[in-house]
Amino acid sequence: MGAIEHGLVFSLMALGVFLTLRALDFPDISVDGSLPLGAAVSALLITKGYDQFLSVAAAALAGFGAGAITALLNTKLKILNLLAGILTMIGLYSINLRVMGMPNIPLLGYDTVFTPLESMGIPPQVASIGLFATFTVLVCVFLVWFFHTDIGLALRATGDNLKMVKAQGVNTDRMIFFGVALSNAFVAMSGALVAQSLGFADVNMGIGTVVAGLASVIVGEAVLSSSTVLKAVVGVVVGSMIYRLAVAYALSVELGPIKLSPGDLNLITAIIVVIALTFPGVRKKLGGLRS
Amino acid sequence: MIELQNIKKVFNAGTVNENIAIQGIDLKIEKGDFITVIGSNGAGKSTMLSIVAGFQTPDGGRVLFGDKDITKVPEYKRAEYIGVVFQDPLSGTAKSLSIEENMAIAAKRGTKRWFRRGVNSKNRKYFAERLKELGLGLEERLKANAGLLSGGQRQSLTLLMAAMANPEMLLLDEHTAALDPKTAELVMNLTDKLIKDMGLTAMMVTHNMKQALDFGNRIIMMHEGQIILDIKGEEKQGLTIPDLLGMFEKVRGVGITDDKLLLSK
Repeated sequence: MGAIEHGLVFSLMALGVFLTLRALDFPDISVDGSLPLGAAVSALLITKGYDQFLSVAAAALAGFGAGAITALLNTKLKILNLLAGILTMIGLYSINLRVMGMPNIPLLGYDTVFTPLESMGIPPQVASIGLFATFTVLVCVFLVWFFHTDIGLALRATGDNLKMVKAQGVNTDRMIFFGVALSNAFVAMSGALVAQSLGFADVNMGIGTVVAGLASVIVGEAVLSSSTVLKAVVGVVVGSMIYRLAVAYALSVELGPIKLSPGDLNLITAIIVVIALTFPGVRKKLGGLRS
Repeated sequence: MIELQNIKKVFNAGTVNENIAIQGIDLKIEKGDFITVIGSNGAGKSTMLSIVAGFQTPDGGRVLFGDKDITKVPEYKRAEYIGVVFQDPLSGTAKSLSIEENMAIAAKRGTKRWFRRGVNSKNRKYFAERLKELGLGLEERLKANAGLLSGGQRQSLTLLMAAMANPEMLLLDEHTAALDPKTAELVMNLTDKLIKDMGLTAMMVTHNMKQALDFGNRIIMMHEGQIILDIKGEEKQGLTIPDLLGMFEKVRGVGITDDKLLLSK
């Protein structure tokens, strides 16, 4: 139950990673910074007395801006996409500290997006799963729709065949801008919801976001074929849940005298990604939308 | 319609690998021309085509479209009036997108792309009609990913896509060179049919002398970054490979003696 909740919480983030990594073929590391950015913006606004739903929208907007910076570093200043993401990520660390004014903002006692449901007598965990499921379904529906619009088609083709889209009159810089900004908006939105669900925003909560997102995308592709956009998008959500289950299981394993702790999470994630990438059947499916 | 004025292009300028690809080309492409371009490796054929398409910016000279200077206009903006087919049959379509989605991208060339549905029932019908012209049965496979098609099928689709959205000019960069002879012939005949049916202006780079002679109304031969032969109209009709080789020898020979004459005077 906890793992499924966790999987849903982070599936929004994974969908964002999917958008850049698979559709656009842009490995965007700035999400490690935009997740806590979303959390920070949301937490700040809530503690300042603004509406909790408004704070989620503001977080998404902030994420859009962060993604826009990464995209512009890449397209206008011709900085390698990986490096552009890293630069935005470390820059965001300082910005997140500035936004929050401290490394951590507790949200206990404040109204969150879950409060209205909980006040209706719905148990907290059910409320949280219901709300995250709703957000996830909405984003999935949006993405499936988006990927079939003129701009969505051009965006998918940008990640597939740069030469072709340019020859077809697509401004690829514009596609990268839209894709990366939108992706970071989803991730920041995810960050805002995670913070409200956990009851705090923390400047370090974004570490490993991109790798976790990558793991979800790859696991999803291994489970569900990504032959259509719908399957690929649903696959990311399923992948996110399976990934969290795998992590939960891994953390419960005792290796002789060593008992794994949450501190080992990043190592476990890295190992899961390596296994997923090298497993032959999975490798064949790599390329996702593009193969 | 498109004019190259004193175009120069140098690769790796100022290094030991300096390579003068194009040295001062003037070329006036008239509306309705179907120009075939031949020449040996490194003659500058593909570089010239890239400069027309906007994939490369010349180091000197101007590219005119009508009376507009488009020398610095990026490739994706030129796509509004120029369609291109590359040599690699895989490079003209997006493999993870379906046939109809690829065509929808091509159909939108030159217009703003926003949030309208890319493929709808109306343009799907149009795509099927256009695909029927190919005679490959692709109209039955609109929803199949382009990656599932053979090289010849993909190149035919690319050709159709390049000719969509009414381009003023079609550029073909050795677009049959990577196909087997039979498929190459099929794609070439299709190219000729499309150009004639749609009244397109076209420029085709090829390594194949026979192809260069069999098609088009104008033939250009390039050598060491310069246009050494430009034969059009009636003079091109009936031209044979030996003729062409003879002319090549003659032009080069005369060129050299001319230089000698100039120097000795």
